[in-house]
Amino acid sequence: MSGLASPFRQAGAERVDPLLVALWITLIIVAVIWIAPFVFIIFTSLKSNATVMGSGAFSPPTSVAWENFTNAWRRGNFGTTVVNSTIITVIKVPLGLMISAMAAYSLSRIQFWGHKAIFLAIVFGTMIPFQVMLAPIFKQVNSFGLINTYVGIILPYLAFGVPYQVFILHGFFKDVPKELSEAALIDGASHFTVFRRIFLPVSLPVLAALLILDFVATWNEFAMALVILQDPQRWTLPLGLMSFQSQFARDYGQLNAAIVMTVLPAAIVYLIFQRYFVSGLTSGAVKE
Amino acid sequence: MLLAPAVLVYAVFAFYPMIDVIQFSFMKWNGLNADKQWVGLDNYRYVLAVDPVFWVAFRNTLIWTALSVIFPPLIGFGLALGLNQNIPGRSPLRALFYMPVIIAPIAVATMWRWMFDPFFGLFNSLLTTAGWTNLIQDWLGDRNVALYSVFIGYVWEVAGFSMVLFLAGLQGVSQTLIEAARIDGAGRFQVFRYVTLPALRPTVTIVLILSLINSLKAFDIVYGMTGGGPAQSTQMLAMWAYTQAMQLGDFGRGSAISVVLLLITVVIVVPYLRWTLKRHEAYQ
Repeated sequence: MSGLASPFRQAGAERVDPLLVALWITLIIVAVIWIAPFVFIIFTSLKSNATVMGSGAFSPPTSVAWENFTNAWRRGNFGTTVVNSTIITVIKVPLGLMISAMAAYSLSRIQFWGHKAIFLAIVFGTMIPFQVMLAPIFKQVNSFGLINTYVGIILPYLAFGVPYQVFILHGFFKDVPKELSEAALIDGASHFTVFRRIFLPVSLPVLAALLILDFVATWNEFAMALVILQDPQRWTLPLGLMSFQSQFARDYGQLNAAIVMTVLPAAIVYLIFQRYFVSGLTSGAVKE
Repeated sequence: MLLAPAVLVYAVFAFYPMIDVIQFSFMKWNGLNADKQWVGLDNYRYVLAVDPVFWVAFRNTLIWTALSVIFPPLIGFGLALGLNQNIPGRSPLRALFYMPVIIAPIAVATMWRWMFDPFFGLFNSLLTTAGWTNLIQDWLGDRNVALYSVFIGYVWEVAGFSMVLFLAGLQGVSQTLIEAARIDGAGRFQVFRYVTLPALRPTVTIVLILSLINSLKAFDIVYGMTGGGPAQSTQMLAMWAYTQAMQLGDFGRGSAISVVLLLITVVIVVPYLRWTLKRHEAYQ
């Protein structure tokens, strides 16, 4: 499988396969198209407005306009939105994973009346896009008086994060040998101890994958925040970017600097934890 | 005890609003004050028979969904097939194609809005450089083009998602089977047609359904690129429900649109869930 030693060959074949070379060239062309928007955005973010209007789209910036970044940071109120996004993400993501894992454990190990119905209701939730019911979510949060608060956004985030995580973890916990948990229970351990000492350690890779996926999803979320966080002092990064776009759309350099700053944290997390993304996605959808 | 927090938060903030919205759809209410009135089917009558925007949004949602089920999965499938071969640079290429998926959709919208800028954006600059000035468009300002312009940005955003799922599916195809077919004299195309494709059938189902559901979630990218305009030419049902309820202050009508959308979703989702649950249990 390690392709780099002798690329372009079919498994076990000696000759270079011309079809694979053609395929490779096609992929490289598609890759260039895919990467073009990134290059364009980064180049523009480093150009002054006069240069943007006067030079070609892909000409690299001649003099680097770093002030785009500082100006966009200040005018876009990034100081506030970064803090809000960070607080919400740092609380929501571990908390959500914790309650999902506990729920998945009890649904997979403790038999009680109605556990099947609860599981079905939760699985149903994995497929309902909350974007189609923003208004009733707003109404529900409002009836608790939580509009424009961190708690008010974290609670619905938790609610819509639970289904997918419970479904994935339930599938995983079922495969933990029964003997392991039953022996511990007979020895007098509580369910919580079994969960913490046995199930959490063996499922660390899945938990890590879900954690990273959820971090990016929470960091990027826009529609729910739009209806619940209406006070600019509570805005998250995506809301800040949207407002920046509508106010300063003609300051091309700064607008692109704002895009780069919004995208960068998620992009870095992705590049560092790449393999977890793939396993987190596929463990749910495609089982081999 | 272990179950309670998750179930409670899910029931209150996800499940209950789903039920609640049905009740609102029979009421006249602005969403804020205590003044609610039961109006029976009036909201549905208005939305389905009077409102000129509803059917425009309905048509756009249909076009959008159809395109979303065809193009991103096809491109993702092509990329996965290519990147499953023995070629150099596989891992960086995979990482690159998946990159747009992890970027905030609202940032994708902002990026593409700038690239579609009629004066200094990427597309019109490239067309000018190439000398094809007759192809220059007001990409997001022309009501005949805008929906498809937004969709191009969407393809760039989501094709990598299908690719990753197909790659995982391809890795599940038995190598022994492929080799056996080769030894029996099957050509490259025959192996693909009679071994790889049949083995990928569950993956294809999953990718198509997830693409369909995700297309209903495409709220951010449309909101960020066009806000539904020009002249409602990119309006979608989910966004129209939001606009009615949250911006025009008519919770009843907004809820009626949400209920129609939820019904459509449930019709698609329930058979798929039954199939998934069967696999989930078979895996035990």
